[in-house]
Amino acid sequence: MTERSLIGKSMQRVDAIAKATGQALFTADLSLPRMLCGKVLRSPYPHAKIVRIDTSRAEKLPGVKAVVTGQDSSDEKWGVFRYTQDQRFLPVDKVRYIGEEIAAVAALDEDTAFEALGLIRVEYAELPAVFTMDDALKVDAPIIHEGYKGNVNIHVKIDVGDVEKGFKESFLVREDTFDAPEESYFQAEPYAVVAQFDNAGSLEIWMPNAGPHLKSKPLANVLGVPLNKVRVRKITIGGAFGGRSEISPADVMCALLAKKSGRPVKIVYTREENTIATRQAHGMRAIIKTGVDREGRVQARDITCYMDGGAYSSTGPIATSVPFLCMEQAYRMENVRYHGYRVFTNKPIRGMYRCHGRAFACGVDLQLDLLGEELGIDPVEMRLRNARQPGDYTPTKSQVGSCAMVETIVKSAEAARWKEKWGKLPPYHGIGIGCNSVQTGFPMGIRGGSEAFVKFNEDGGITVISGVVDNGQGNETMLVQIAAEELGLSPQDVQLVSADTEVTPSDPGSYSMVSTFVGGNAVRLAAQDAKNKLFVIAAKALEAKPEELIAKDRKIMVKGEPERSLSLTKAVRMALSRGQSISGEGGYWPKVDSRREWVENPFGQLSEAFSFGTTIVEVKVDPETGRVTVLETWAAQDVGYALNPKIIESQFEGGLAMGGQGGMLTEYHVFDRGRVLNPTQLDYKLPLACDMPKINNIIVESHDPNGPYGAKEAAMSIAMSAAQGYAAAICNAIGVPIKEFPITPEKILKALEEKASRQPSAVSGPED
Amino acid sequence: MQARRKQAARKQATKRISKQPAKRTVKQAVTKAVTIEKKRVALRINREDYELFIYPHRTLGEVLRDELHLTGTKQSCSEGACGTCTVLLDGAPVRSCLLLAVDVEGKEITTIEGLAENGKLHPIQEAFVEHYAIQCGFCTPGMILTAKAFLDTNPHPTEEEIRNAISGNICRCTGYSKIVEAIKAASERGR
Repeated sequence: MTERSLIGKSMQRVDAIAKATGQALFTADLSLPRMLCGKVLRSPYPHAKIVRIDTSRAEKLPGVKAVVTGQDSSDEKWGVFRYTQDQRFLPVDKVRYIGEEIAAVAALDEDTAFEALGLIRVEYAELPAVFTMDDALKVDAPIIHEGYKGNVNIHVKIDVGDVEKGFKESFLVREDTFDAPEESYFQAEPYAVVAQFDNAGSLEIWMPNAGPHLKSKPLANVLGVPLNKVRVRKITIGGAFGGRSEISPADVMCALLAKKSGRPVKIVYTREENTIATRQAHGMRAIIKTGVDREGRVQARDITCYMDGGAYSSTGPIATSVPFLCMEQAYRMENVRYHGYRVFTNKPIRGMYRCHGRAFACGVDLQLDLLGEELGIDPVEMRLRNARQPGDYTPTKSQVGSCAMVETIVKSAEAARWKEKWGKLPPYHGIGIGCNSVQTGFPMGIRGGSEAFVKFNEDGGITVISGVVDNGQGNETMLVQIAAEELGLSPQDVQLVSADTEVTPSDPGSYSMVSTFVGGNAVRLAAQDAKNKLFVIAAKALEAKPEELIAKDRKIMVKGEPERSLSLTKAVRMALSRGQSISGEGGYWPKVDSRREWVENPFGQLSEAFSFGTTIVEVKVDPETGRVTVLETWAAQDVGYALNPKIIESQFEGGLAMGGQGGMLTEYHVFDRGRVLNPTQLDYKLPLACDMPKINNIIVESHDPNGPYGAKEAAMSIAMSAAQGYAAAICNAIGVPIKEFPITPEKILKALEEKASRQPSAVSGPED
Repeated sequence: MQARRKQAARKQATKRISKQPAKRTVKQAVTKAVTIEKKRVALRINREDYELFIYPHRTLGEVLRDELHLTGTKQSCSEGACGTCTVLLDGAPVRSCLLLAVDVEGKEITTIEGLAENGKLHPIQEAFVEHYAIQCGFCTPGMILTAKAFLDTNPHPTEEEIRNAISGNICRCTGYSKIVEAIKAASERGR
């Protein structure tokens, strides 16, 4: 293997200086000549017929330049899949949650826009609404969408092996129910859109997104214009975490206002709107039954999961499947049955979230601990005995290639000194372990692949053109690093043009954890293509064969003979003088089973690679207050190969904060008849610097044969396994399982109280 | 040179807003309409003087962003909970979403744009870049300014002191580890 200059090293982020100096422009920072301010009128009812909308007074208000309602939008309904198209922008018949868009105005300034909203008269006829899954599933429940009997939006059914036989042959069987309410992304940047049309009727639009091409196609459909007239522009993005992949009503409203007014329009969501009217994570109930043999090996598993989907389908089929898929990847299970139901309620819409289904993931792992406890097997051993191994097939028929699940367990347990601690910690101290696995991409049909171009400038520098988007995770740095490595350039020689649908080819977006694998591979291949062309030119000058050449330090040289070299600039100029410009093209389509479909046929290769992660957490609990103090954490993930170790570490740390510290201790939404009571950072408790424990990062490498340089998804297995590790550690500390997440002080105190009342002999404390 | 720039900036700022109406009638909940008049304010921002003509209910954050296009100051929660919009007022960190612009006359305001001098990054900015303390970057300006004010008063803090000092600034990406490392490194650089 040739020694690499940049790959595998912690290269500085290419966007860091612009962000540190305030120069990086986010959508809300944009300002265009004659730009108007857009504001949105939202439904105050959870479920109501729209009888009449009168915008005449608003339109007459001086300073108002456009008002749009459902009458201005097309009949086209949005859904990620053909069979889930159920959301119209804007609605005409009825509203289905508090906060749903009714109308939007564009005015000279914010005050006028707000005043105009107050002048729009909407007559509603209230309909009975449902706010819980239990109520929604009742036989006589009000129907939220026609054609969805019992308000069941999606039913994913998987049945593999012989589950009944597996239970019969089990030594021990347990069934537990786990619950968790909704949580939210709380991206730092509230959602914002800027849109304008040019004279030729082309839309130019900026918004935070997890895939510009995932935005442009539905926008083209809704606006009834060809794809080349929808130009989603690149902009700095303040976080996504699984959200922002879908088209948003804000995108459509902003475009419609810009069209109607003939002027650029900017809509900036408030924090409250970002929580209520973008997406949230699903609330969930998971009923998990697991049978194990005497050695703790899982013989059968039967899981039924109810997910509160809110008012529309959104990414429903994917969101209903992924919690199960993560666990079927992480652990071996031969006989397994899964029923996933996504249920409509009159609440805000739920989408994909970085920590898919905490009730599911924590439930499976916590139950494994409970089974192990009865068998006298420690949690680390339970996981080692059930861990996924390389070469295995998952129950839904994905072959697992590179896999270092076991190594993540062993290394994190060693680093945490698990053996010295398990069962030997002082009272109310606990240690817990969680394991998970995440996909590197989903089957996405014609949008599953990424293509990239590399063009050489006459000074030997390059421009890289790629559809990959950066939401903050460091994708831009990754692309520059790969292109520079392949061509022997320094990062400063690389100009990146990315995430712009007018210029950059199609790309699946970042939300399926696939940017490095697919987009990175495409850039690597494009750079190699350009390099090969250049090597043909240089070979003649260096009197060598092209295959003997390497590119390094801005030079092309004969391998092993650095004195026989030619500068890249000279090689490019030689090519130009012969009438040949040097550019490269590369595309990468992941090898997944295109027949696989989330509901109809959930079998076949799901992703080309899977990541595996383990998080160990040590906590102490104050039995008087129920307060949890996290003492230390160990996060280990198989990332394939660490292209940029420091960036990966920072992703581990962020994942642990979101999935573990926030997801298991403080984060959840509270509703009152469909109204979100805690939509802002004041009431929704996000982790702060003073809350965070020490995080020990353990990067494990399994060198995936198909990932660029061996890389695959990096850090989401930490976000998920951290939640599981936190839950396990707290339950270990208090000696009783808590099955409702997050684990708040009230739940801990209640559990301790119940424990004491069950065991009257132990009232003096667990030390006894 | 300095005077000319000041004059130009003043002219530009005044020109920009003079297109808007100078009076506004706002309907209040109590049905009685009140008329709010624009007010002249003189602000000193990043060592430069600006003269503006603004509504008195505009926050400092809105004025920095909308009137002066100093968009490095981000807005996130608009209720003082997240720390994203932090700027320095006579060296102390304040939330620009909670302050009215008319109330900060005569104070020295520092925004993220004013931290680097003559194209050279401030040591805290350098440390954030070198220590991978930046991901999406939205909280970064507020975080860096909070760190600056803190290190100015406590140049050699412990890790715990750093964590407490930035606890009013929410970051959703990093888990704070690398931010704490960066601030520690910046403090050691000043040693």
